[in-house]
Amino acid sequence: MPKIKKKGQAGAAKNYITRTQAVKKLQLSLPDFRKLCIWKGIYPREPRNKKKVSKSATASTTFYYTKDIQYLLHEPLLQKFRDQKVLEKKISRALGRGDVSDAARFERHAARPEATGKPRYTLNHVIRERYPTFNDALRDLDDCLSMLFLFANLPSTSAVPAKMIARCERLCLEFQHYLIVSHSLRKSFLSIKGIYYQANIQGEDILWLVPYKFNQRIVGDVDFRIMGTFVEFYMTLLGFVNYRLYSSIGLKYPPKFDQLKDENGAELGAFSLEGVNMATQGETKAVTNGEEQEQGPDPKVQAEVDKIIKQLKEDESKSDETAEEDAEADDEEKPTDSIDKFEPVAPGGDVLPQPAYSSRDPSQLFANFTFYLSRETPRQPLEFILRAFGCKRIGWDSVLGEGAFTNDESDPSITHHIIDRPVVQAATNEDGDGEDNQTAQKVGPNQRYPGRIYVQPQWVWDCVNDEELKSPELYAPGAALPPHLSPFVKAAPGQYDPALPLEAQQTEAEAIEADLEDAEKGNAEDGSDVENDMDVDEAEDDEEEEEGDEEAEEEDAEEDEEESKTLQRQLELEAELQGKKVQNKKVDSKTKAKLEQRKAIEKKAREEAEDLERAKGMLSKKKRKLFEQMQYTNNKKSAQDEKLRAKRRKLEKEKAQKA
Amino acid sequence: MGPKATEKKRKVQDAEPESDDEIAPDFDGALSQSEDEFDSDFDDNEHEQDGEQESGSEASDDEDEEGSLLSDDIPSDAEGDKAMGKLVLEDEEEELEIEIPGVDPKRPEKDDGDKNYRVEKDANGNERYVYDEIDPVYDSDDSDAQEAPNTIGNIPMSFYDSYPHIGYDINGKKIMRPATGDALDALLDSIEVPKGWTGLTDIHTGNPLNLNDDELELVRRVQMGMIPNELENPYPETVEYFTGIEEKMPLSAAPEPKRRFLPSKNEAKKIMKLVRAIREGRILPYKPPEEREKEEEEEEQYFDIWQDEVPQEVNPLHIPAPKLPPPGFDMSYNPPAEYLPTKEEREEWEKLDPEEREKEYLPQKYDSLRKVPGYGEIVKERFERCMDLYLAPRVRKNRLNIDPNSLLPKLPSPSELKPFPTVAQTVFRGHDGRVRSVAIDPTGVAVASGGDDGTVRVWELLTGRQVWSVKLSSEEAVNTVRWRPAKDSFILSAAVGEDVYLMVPTHASVTPALDQASRDILSAGFGYATNGQQHGAAPGKEPPAKWARPGAKLEDEGVLIRITVRSTVKVINWHRKGDHFATVSPSGQRSSVAIHTLSKHLTQIPFRKLSGLAQTASFHPLRPLFFVATQRTIRCYDLQKLELVKVVQPGAKWISSFDIHPGGDNLIVGSYDKRLLWHDLDLSIRPYKTMRFHSEAVRQVKYHRGGLPLFADASDDGTLQIFHGKVPNDQLENPTIVPVKVLKGHKVVNKLGVLDMDWHPREPWCVSAGADGTIRLWM
Repeated sequence: MPKIKKKGQAGAAKNYITRTQAVKKLQLSLPDFRKLCIWKGIYPREPRNKKKVSKSATASTTFYYTKDIQYLLHEPLLQKFRDQKVLEKKISRALGRGDVSDAARFERHAARPEATGKPRYTLNHVIRERYPTFNDALRDLDDCLSMLFLFANLPSTSAVPAKMIARCERLCLEFQHYLIVSHSLRKSFLSIKGIYYQANIQGEDILWLVPYKFNQRIVGDVDFRIMGTFVEFYMTLLGFVNYRLYSSIGLKYPPKFDQLKDENGAELGAFSLEGVNMATQGETKAVTNGEEQEQGPDPKVQAEVDKIIKQLKEDESKSDETAEEDAEADDEEKPTDSIDKFEPVAPGGDVLPQPAYSSRDPSQLFANFTFYLSRETPRQPLEFILRAFGCKRIGWDSVLGEGAFTNDESDPSITHHIIDRPVVQAATNEDGDGEDNQTAQKVGPNQRYPGRIYVQPQWVWDCVNDEELKSPELYAPGAALPPHLSPFVKAAPGQYDPALPLEAQQTEAEAIEADLEDAEKGNAEDGSDVENDMDVDEAEDDEEEEEGDEEAEEEDAEEDEEESKTLQRQLELEAELQGKKVQNKKVDSKTKAKLEQRKAIEKKAREEAEDLERAKGMLSKKKRKLFEQMQYTNNKKSAQDEKLRAKRRKLEKEKAQKA
Repeated sequence: MGPKATEKKRKVQDAEPESDDEIAPDFDGALSQSEDEFDSDFDDNEHEQDGEQESGSEASDDEDEEGSLLSDDIPSDAEGDKAMGKLVLEDEEEELEIEIPGVDPKRPEKDDGDKNYRVEKDANGNERYVYDEIDPVYDSDDSDAQEAPNTIGNIPMSFYDSYPHIGYDINGKKIMRPATGDALDALLDSIEVPKGWTGLTDIHTGNPLNLNDDELELVRRVQMGMIPNELENPYPETVEYFTGIEEKMPLSAAPEPKRRFLPSKNEAKKIMKLVRAIREGRILPYKPPEEREKEEEEEEQYFDIWQDEVPQEVNPLHIPAPKLPPPGFDMSYNPPAEYLPTKEEREEWEKLDPEEREKEYLPQKYDSLRKVPGYGEIVKERFERCMDLYLAPRVRKNRLNIDPNSLLPKLPSPSELKPFPTVAQTVFRGHDGRVRSVAIDPTGVAVASGGDDGTVRVWELLTGRQVWSVKLSSEEAVNTVRWRPAKDSFILSAAVGEDVYLMVPTHASVTPALDQASRDILSAGFGYATNGQQHGAAPGKEPPAKWARPGAKLEDEGVLIRITVRSTVKVINWHRKGDHFATVSPSGQRSSVAIHTLSKHLTQIPFRKLSGLAQTASFHPLRPLFFVATQRTIRCYDLQKLELVKVVQPGAKWISSFDIHPGGDNLIVGSYDKRLLWHDLDLSIRPYKTMRFHSEAVRQVKYHRGGLPLFADASDDGTLQIFHGKVPNDQLENPTIVPVKVLKGHKVVNKLGVLDMDWHPREPWCVSAGADGTIRLWM
């Protein structure tokens, strides 16, 4: 006879553990447990059957895998937490005795791990465990970057120490430097929440959000201890990632950091990157510094740096399958690894999809330009994007901080001037002079330097996203900007795309409806008031008819036609009775045809709905639910799209009327 | 300083007797005395301090003085104490009576009379006070000896209010009340307040009561709960008995041991330990705190942590956190105009609770980048993301990336399923009230119907013309009409109340021969019946049914037999051969199901006991099986072996009707709980398909008997639903059921819609009987 199995001894009951049990098992306080879970990446699970899992009568909310918790039992950090607890107890006891000096001694000793075995910990091993390969780490970088960039922009408080903010900022800037050097920034998007960036590092797409440079409003119910735990982990992670990234392109990490420049607001300019092999020579190269040419760097160093960068690019193109042709190496006889473009010779063949092919390197989009940033433009994102897309020389107004290529607005080498100012009326010219003495000294408010392109900041983003230089006229100062579209939305068939013309997207029924409306409107304009009324009547009747259809879908189209005919007759009679001229539906044959077409479409739709209803009846309950769910989401999506199309149609019509 | 102080003190002491001499015993004396005391106290204090500091040369002198002073002091202190006690005591009573013996005016006199010291010259030529020896007898230091001048004791002084005196002294003499100061005195007093003036009157002497500073201080100290004498130190410093005395000679004369001059081995060990620790780097040399802080600030050391990375297999249980969706067009700072919300949408969004909003932001358009404000919720959103990352249970959701239409079964199009009835061809009107039952005759030319008006009518099928009618009852409704299935006759059965009538209606298609044949069949049993009844009827037992002729009037109309059973018959079902028919009367307890044999005019009750109320019963179309439906189950009995074969459980709450497929293996069941169930009898006792397309109860279900794969049900929602139900010849295949048509037309009256329906024996037509009093032919 087999052993009788007891309840709760095997299976789901054993596999899951509630949070309270887990905390008890680990002998930790809840905040420590939270910390451990955040760092080790352990998250609750949803058991398939909660009832089988929970042993208590009350419903527990959070379950963890027992294996996960068991794995935590061997965590070295656990001992550190306990040490910390002991130390805190000692300090609080000393303070309770009123022995401040003793407490201070404990605290001091705690800061010296050698003397007292202090609970100082590093998260290195956790990083290695959570991300066994570098690519795993890259995959998880989205949240890390968003978090660190946010913290870099936070005001320092007691919960967020200034040291932490400074470190976040530094790590972020270092990461940006890597993106600039390796040209791995792909896309960027100005949203209402902040600026989204997308980079592609080793084939991994990374998307993060950087808030606009404003003082962040901190809403009450935000627990900075939790955020701080995440930030601590992410800082360690980004440090290691940065190290790996820098060393992968032959740069030394950490880069040299100039405290003085940083204090003057140089931001990116405060770092100077150095190659690994040159480190012995003690020579550095500020990679992003545009002033470099003027200073006249050591030609030997320059050559070496060039070599490194060139090598890097070659490596990249080798590793990246979809790499573009190297812009500099234009030797045709050399066979390249890149994909050849297949052009159809004769019409009739199918078009096969190919990876992106572009004739020019987007990373050198702004390579030949010199930019000048007006003082009302956001310097940090512009500087970063321009540099990441190949720009070497960026100047800005001195109020924006140090590190500019030039602070002189009138520099003749400037080719593009980014400006975000309304066009000032000429009358206020004199007054304006007095007010802004920064730039007005040199130029009047509306004065332009000849031979220079003036654009609004959006131009940079649109150029970057489309990988081509957009026409600057559209983005001239004071001009109404074209809409800024998200580059992250992938066009799906049947989905609304604002970039395409409306005609290409709308359904047949919609198009007919729109045409009919137009025609009706045209009629209304041509005909008398009476006619107009009649039209309205008819429309109402139509609606009623439709409602009726909904109720009784079986009703045949013939009936409809009959009804409409009788309606027509009735309308005519009414018109006669009123002594008005018979309203001939001289609705041109075209409209009639459209009407018929609409009717046909409606009929078809009705039949389809009927078929669907029949078929649905034959599904099992489970499948029917699933089907209805799918239909629901699809319908919702298409309804949204339809709404957008309707709005756009309306707007276009208004526009046309105005024109 | 010492000598000066003593001098000063002595002067005061000298002055004392003089002043005493001059002034009569009144408050002034007390005043001076108290002043004196205060002074002496002060001096004494100083003197003590001096004495300690000074060398022993004046020690004897001082000691002497001290002794005298102390002797002087103590009583006054004690007196003060007592006074205070009194003061407090009297305070409690409303009247303030203060008696301070120490300051009574007689004392100076006493002091005057016999001085207890004499003045001599000491060796230095200074004055020296030599005090008398104190005779150490009892009472010699008794402060109580000084009695109060007034001997009346502790009684209220108000007793003496009406007398000129205020008490008696020790000698029994009256103490006269001193004259109270007149207005001038009061004025003078108010102008010149003497020192120590309290404004109180000593009740025992009647004099103004004055207190000196010392006494006031005493009062204060007592009130504060302190020790009255401020000189008295309750915690004197201990004098070490042994160590206080410096020893001149060593206790031991042994020489210093050698070990005192050798370096300690133990300490050397400890030091070596530290040295080793420093060498090994376990202990870092001391650094000033600033430097150490700086060191701490130093960045973490980064290195290539993925140097020897080994790709690991992904743990199938690990669910990576889902990435946040990328921003869409509507999040742009300058979105296309169609993404901007209209006014209504904006209002709706604002009205919603922040948690219920579909999107946490509203699309907004700024015509320039510089106008874009900071996003207020960004910290909160990031925090929520953090919370999700560590608190949200992750579940792997299998997103079906399929076209929902692929789920739908491939149904044959309705056109392929034709023929089936689609429209109401004929409407038969004539019944008064509901039409309860309808049936098409086996040849398919006539329709019989019965209704609430108690009539049975026969109609021409195609034209809707009524050809025959008979009123069977004026009170009770015709519950059911059924034709005898065989084609060799034209016999109609109808149930009215407890009676079942068998009749031969007249119809154009009925030839006289057929009519005669039908009548023969009906009357054939009469001869047999008489014998049978005699044979079968047990004595004393009522027969289950009575077969009789209905009477001449009805017989003329064509109604030939009346069978009366025990309770109201609701259902009649014929055996396919037309010799037997079963009737069901749900209210009839044991005899609810009866099987009648037409050829013998015999009625049998097959069940002595039935579990549940019988609803309907039917013969198997091919085999000798008999099905009886109770409320919840359908039981199948073998009529030959007389045993239960099967119990079908449709799972419906209340079965209304069922029908057996002509093939015999399938069954449809209609129920009052709106369901239509298809049973495959070979497959299971549970339904193969459940169809719930009706919004009201299903009243009747019927298979088509003429070879077409159709079945239909009639419901209280006023519709008939036609299904295509093909039973394949192959046993392994499942039947296909396709809903094809909903026939609408009957009106719902009193929540009753279609009460009965029947199929045409050959054509895809059907008739239905409605509660609205009409019969409709659908084709």
